[in-house]
Amino acid sequence: MTFDTWDGDDESAAGRFVPLYVLVNGRTAPRDSTLDLATQVVALAVDTRRLEPEYVEIVNRCANWMSVAEIGAYLHLPLAITKVMVDVLVEQGYLGVGSPAQQKIIDLHLLDSVLAGLERL
Amino acid sequence: MDRTSVKIVVAGGFGTGKTTLVASVSEIPPLTTEEILTEASIGVDDITGVEGKTTTTVALDFGRITISPDVVLYLFGTPGQDRFWFMWDELAQGAVGAIVLVDTRRLDSSFPAVDYFERRGIPFVTAVNRFFGECAYTEEEIRGALELDPRVPLVWCDARDRPSSKLALVTLVRHAMSRITAKAPA
Repeated sequence: MTFDTWDGDDESAAGRFVPLYVLVNGRTAPRDSTLDLATQVVALAVDTRRLEPEYVEIVNRCANWMSVAEIGAYLHLPLAITKVMVDVLVEQGYLGVGSPAQQKIIDLHLLDSVLAGLERL
Repeated sequence: MDRTSVKIVVAGGFGTGKTTLVASVSEIPPLTTEEILTEASIGVDDITGVEGKTTTTVALDFGRITISPDVVLYLFGTPGQDRFWFMWDELAQGAVGAIVLVDTRRLDSSFPAVDYFERRGIPFVTAVNRFFGECAYTEEEIRGALELDPRVPLVWCDARDRPSSKLALVTLVRHAMSRITAKAPA
């Protein structure tokens, strides 16, 4: 009978040793409920040395404004996890957050600029 | 700090050309993000036939169009399977509206999307994708089959063609604006 021995590789077959639910401390939803998959965030000029590498990766991705959905896609993280991790980073001051998606778009001025932008395509 | 995101949902049945439409206008190749469903969603979703599964992955395709230095438009394609309605809710919340793609060979595959946006009062336009060849139906016939409200715009499109997809988007934004103007007190 053979026993599993540590082969010096911390990466599991899935390429991730730390389960995602550990990374987010068991949280299942962001505290800021206005954070949605289209909300954009940007890295703030803060020292990230105390962060877990998975969180640092997110901050590094956000040198320019980027949506929660884009972060999830680029880093291959499920949306729910991405949202919670981004929420933690916003809460701790590593990321700045843009305007939350409106409950109902009622801003004609905003729609006007969207229309103008589309017509330039 | 102000950075605004605007959403438009691209819906329609499986294989109606949602990702193709997103790709034709997006400034980046469409990205895919995933949501993992766990046992917690059992009882909400119809899981007939997949009872043994404890997790399922739902893929969402999306693209982006930079409108101005502080506004970005995201186009989200809905997951094709109708047991992922809860994802639609998140996509639709705060969205300008939706484009419902219609494949005339399978009109019925677009019923759920039309019904969804109608019930929630979310502005939408129907875009009949001509990609699949000459359409055997007239606009009236399609409107009748989908039981469309006469105020809902219908455009003919080829989801592979940028100007055509752009027209569908422009029609939707104009439609959403006209609904706001109509509702505003005089």
